[in-house]
Amino acid sequence: MKPLLEKLFQRRLLFVAGKGGVGKTTTACALALIASQLGKRTLLTEVDGAGRAAYLLGVEPAPIGLPRRAGPLLSVMSVEGGAALAEYLEIILPVKRVLQAVFASRIYKYFVAAAPGLKELLTIGKIWYEAERLEESGGQRLWDLVIVDAPATGHSLQYLRMPHAAHQAFGGGLVGRESKRIVDLLVDPRVTAVNLVTTAEEMPVNETLEMYEQIRDELHMPLGILFLNRMHYATFEAKQVDNLERKLAKLHDARERAIATEVMNRGREEAGWTAINHRYSQRLASEVRMPRIEVPFVFAEEFGLKEVHAVVAAIVRDSAGSTRRGAVHGRA
Amino acid sequence: MGGLDELLRRHHIIICAGSGGVGKTTTAASIALRGALAGRRTVVLTIDPAKRLANALGMRTVGGSGSVVTGDDLQPGMLTAMMLDQKGAWDELVERHAPSAEVRDRILNNHFYQHLSQSFAGSYEYVAIEQLCELHASGAYDLIVVDTPPTRHALDFLEAPQRLADFLDRRVVKWFVRPYFSAGWATLRFVNRTVGFLFRRLEEATGISALVEVSDFFTSMSGLFEAFAPRVRRVYELLRSSDTCFVLVAAPEEQVLTEAEYFCRKVRELDIPLRTVVFNRTHRELTAGRQGVAADEVTRLMMRLLGEETLATKLAENFSHYEMIGRGDGLRMESFRRILPKGVATIEVPNFNSDVHSLADLRAMHPFLFAA
Repeated sequence: MKPLLEKLFQRRLLFVAGKGGVGKTTTACALALIASQLGKRTLLTEVDGAGRAAYLLGVEPAPIGLPRRAGPLLSVMSVEGGAALAEYLEIILPVKRVLQAVFASRIYKYFVAAAPGLKELLTIGKIWYEAERLEESGGQRLWDLVIVDAPATGHSLQYLRMPHAAHQAFGGGLVGRESKRIVDLLVDPRVTAVNLVTTAEEMPVNETLEMYEQIRDELHMPLGILFLNRMHYATFEAKQVDNLERKLAKLHDARERAIATEVMNRGREEAGWTAINHRYSQRLASEVRMPRIEVPFVFAEEFGLKEVHAVVAAIVRDSAGSTRRGAVHGRA
Repeated sequence: MGGLDELLRRHHIIICAGSGGVGKTTTAASIALRGALAGRRTVVLTIDPAKRLANALGMRTVGGSGSVVTGDDLQPGMLTAMMLDQKGAWDELVERHAPSAEVRDRILNNHFYQHLSQSFAGSYEYVAIEQLCELHASGAYDLIVVDTPPTRHALDFLEAPQRLADFLDRRVVKWFVRPYFSAGWATLRFVNRTVGFLFRRLEEATGISALVEVSDFFTSMSGLFEAFAPRVRRVYELLRSSDTCFVLVAAPEEQVLTEAEYFCRKVRELDIPLRTVVFNRTHRELTAGRQGVAADEVTRLMMRLLGEETLATKLAENFSHYEMIGRGDGLRMESFRRILPKGVATIEVPNFNSDVHSLADLRAMHPFLFAA
């Protein structure tokens, strides 16, 4: 069984955050696939993205703010602040003609594009709305689980901070009260968890440590799982590879020497990354108190749905406590 | 000499753009080091680099004043590194532009400002560009290398100042905020019925006290940024001038390249001088374009050399993994090259098997960045 993941999926709102380029979208897609396979009606939302999550799941992205079916119990949606405001105004201003005039005005466009924090607040508001949304027939929630593929670190924090800021700035008014409801949801450990994704190398780890502290001490949000992505596990030692160097001189055939040199270089590369990953993984272990899941580097020509499934398999395997590690093939 | 060396000679400002996580900071630092080694007084404006890279660049403390980098054959004073402080970006803007201490304090003490200033988008990008303009005007440097903020979209750096200027545009504030609060409903109804309606609803929804504070904030801010719009115009003039060139840093990953493609299109629309694309952390197939090397040939060769089957098999398998990445990287880079406008060069920097964290490491990138 997978106790770690099952515990995680008891929450309703999961953020997947981390530095740019560490594999947040892939991790979010993998979690969404696993959750839906476990019978959870899952919505994966991508913030300010280019529909990358939809493409990774093998479907065309739907227009912003609308869900696209990507599996039996899985939907994917792009969320963007401007569209969310339009949706919100449609609820509070039910006169169509007035609405169209508002949306068409230049001032409105300026305001939505540039108002400090507005876009962020509305984005989080939309996510909150989806997490709380009931089925049309009423009663039951529409989604068992909402997974958020968050933007890169600095921007994620801007988003997550906005409801706090708005609540404090607007106090008792409606915006203040609504913001408070969002904050309550975000800090409730029964509902929300922020998961962090990083690669085990210097810059992403520094950012992860910073983000970890800010989420814990400043935003007071509950933390979920730390994902160490793209881990290298060389099956040989660096010094074994070094042995090759002396033997290269014996090769007189140019092609053979070229191949052997390349084999040596790639061996060193793999051993080098393994050492770096090991070092930073230990640093994370000593400074971050979160359960962790390691995902091996996926060797593939292209990264698509098959590779996401390879990540799914790796996550399930590691969360079950298996120690079996090694290279993963997306094409297998 | 060729490639980026040409850019170093011809331009005073090199801006490294690209989406997050592709190695912009190290690329910018490496280019700056090259400039300094070539005897040009160089400054690199950078953003929160890895601790050890910061140490290598002499930046033990955060600060906008700059630290002189020493070591590695550098002539004293040739290379300066400046780090922008993301957290204080808005406070810095306010301090810099406030016409009087009174206005400054009024804004810094504004309830609304205090709660939201950490979340303001665009300010960091604006501060970076502002700093760039000051450095340029000072004439203290022959070469300025800029590492752009870590946004998800490379374009944010270019668009943020304009968005900020739009927002703080006096006319917009005048229409949207001031009449409502200074003259009340009657005026507003004449100015814009739609906005009037919207504001009535917003007032009911939020409560007036908060809006007064908001109004006061925007009114002070718009006064503060009196000279803001012309300044932003000058910024764009500088970015488009022959002094400046853009280097797009990308990784050969599909997501990054999709983003980079969009950047290239947009750059043309904005008339921004993009000169070079650096593919960072690339892999190449040994026999690119031809039939790959057969796995059993590699295994046999390794057996012959090492005389040990287990290790031979492991190394051969590892080799084939990297060949697979190399094939994908190669195909993606080729198809990206085809969509690039004429006159934009491409450079490949291979994936190193270690973190970059010293001047020597930055120098190790030079043979690739500056290959003829």
